[in-house]
Amino acid sequence: MAEFHLEGPLSEEDVTRLQIGDTVYISGRVFTCRSRLQRYVFDEGHPLNFDISGRNILIHNGPIVVRENGAWRLVSFMPTSSIRFEKWGARSVRDWNLRMIVGKTTMGPRTAEAMKERKCVHVSPRSVSPNLWIDSIEVEDVNLFDELGSIEAAWFFKVKDLGPFTVDIDCEGRNYFDRLDGQIDERKKDALGRLGIDESFEFTKLY
Amino acid sequence: MIRIETYEQALFETIKRGATEISPDVREAFVAAIDREADPDARKGLEATLRSMDMSAVRRNPLCVDTGWPIFYFKVGNECRLEGGLMGLEEAARRAVAECTRLGFLRSTMKHPLTGYDPGNNIGANIPDFTYKFVEGDSIELSYAAKGGGSECFGGTRHRIVAFADGVKGIEKFVVDCFTASARAGAVCPPSVLGVGIGGTANVAANLAKEAACLRRIGSSNPDPMFAAIERDLYGALNSLGIGILGSGGSTSVLAVNVEYAYTHIAGIAVATSTNCMVARRASSRIDADGTVTRMDAPMWFGDR
Repeated sequence: MAEFHLEGPLSEEDVTRLQIGDTVYISGRVFTCRSRLQRYVFDEGHPLNFDISGRNILIHNGPIVVRENGAWRLVSFMPTSSIRFEKWGARSVRDWNLRMIVGKTTMGPRTAEAMKERKCVHVSPRSVSPNLWIDSIEVEDVNLFDELGSIEAAWFFKVKDLGPFTVDIDCEGRNYFDRLDGQIDERKKDALGRLGIDESFEFTKLY
Repeated sequence: MIRIETYEQALFETIKRGATEISPDVREAFVAAIDREADPDARKGLEATLRSMDMSAVRRNPLCVDTGWPIFYFKVGNECRLEGGLMGLEEAARRAVAECTRLGFLRSTMKHPLTGYDPGNNIGANIPDFTYKFVEGDSIELSYAAKGGGSECFGGTRHRIVAFADGVKGIEKFVVDCFTASARAGAVCPPSVLGVGIGGTANVAANLAKEAACLRRIGSSNPDPMFAAIERDLYGALNSLGIGILGSGGSTSVLAVNVEYAYTHIAGIAVATSTNCMVARRASSRIDADGTVTRMDAPMWFGDR
């Protein structure tokens, strides 16, 4: 498993060489959202009224940012769970021309299919370490702050070697966690065996 | 009489500490997890997390960006006298939560469940949540816990009525099934502190599970050998799954399994699970009748555990 230091905006070659399990660090201009933005745009039909050209890395995240002396200060940052964005995942990848989504957990098969078609990856953190990340992030701007609030707003960040993140969906649509799940299910049989619960166990149905 | 300023200041300090400082027992569990970690990437993840948590105490910023549901547990001495009474205490807790949010120790995370309205201070209907326990004496113990969205929303909190016919096997099977499903891809932010509530009505079991997850000292055992055996067996079984930090594989999937119980109905056994995320944020303080405030290392909600 290889390590990559990538500079955004990402090219097709940048991401097609990534495989599940690889480690990436990212630099360049990125934008953030939580699910409220996607609902605002895809369900409520509002236009995306800010320019994301030059930014094809999306971080699912609701940062803590405070306003001090006329400037934004990033207090804390941690990617949030991507799985609950699944409803809009494929559309985000296609409509926003994304090459990478950063988020905790992973995304489902429909997003993975769009990622395969459009050459995009999903990467996730392997630690909860806001303090190792905030120094790599410069807050550039914020969009839809009044409409969505500070947590749900779309932040523009400039990042430098932000990571490490693990590639969990690659451009072939393969999922790192699906592979791991198979191993965990095997071990679960043994774990239940140790507790004296064999595979034939069935709960008594009460309702 | 404990003055309003005394308990309001203590509440503010307790919330701030809970949000920004890792508890000593959680830190110890982290160090032990790093020591036994066989997967080099998982070890790096655990080390990075611990390093960041230690930095939070110095920088005075939140241990995790998701500062969670604000939850209070008040252990009140029967002879404790508070200026303004318990309603005054709750008002002060709400003011302290709002102030900690304004200062960036908490993120404004609580929203209206239907409209999504964000009051910007984490205060709303039935939030913060308050739970009381009444004990002998004239002091009061204030505990604050932050229940993270990951640990609460992605299957870490569930319940089922297990038939007496299925007994301990049914209880353990339910817990293993729930935890395995909820830890997929790191959804509940493992390694978790897993609380299990057994018995009572479903809400009693769920409350016991949450208290076991959020308040029990890591390393403590249930004093009843039958429940201690369930804790030990589940701890061993879940740590053999290889779920690891944020579900990416590794030796430690749970930092602790804490079981608490209540008597139940002859018809069935309510079993509830509650996971707490690896950061397991909480802090406690005691205020004596003379107004002396003492920082506590662990909530001691269940007597000495």
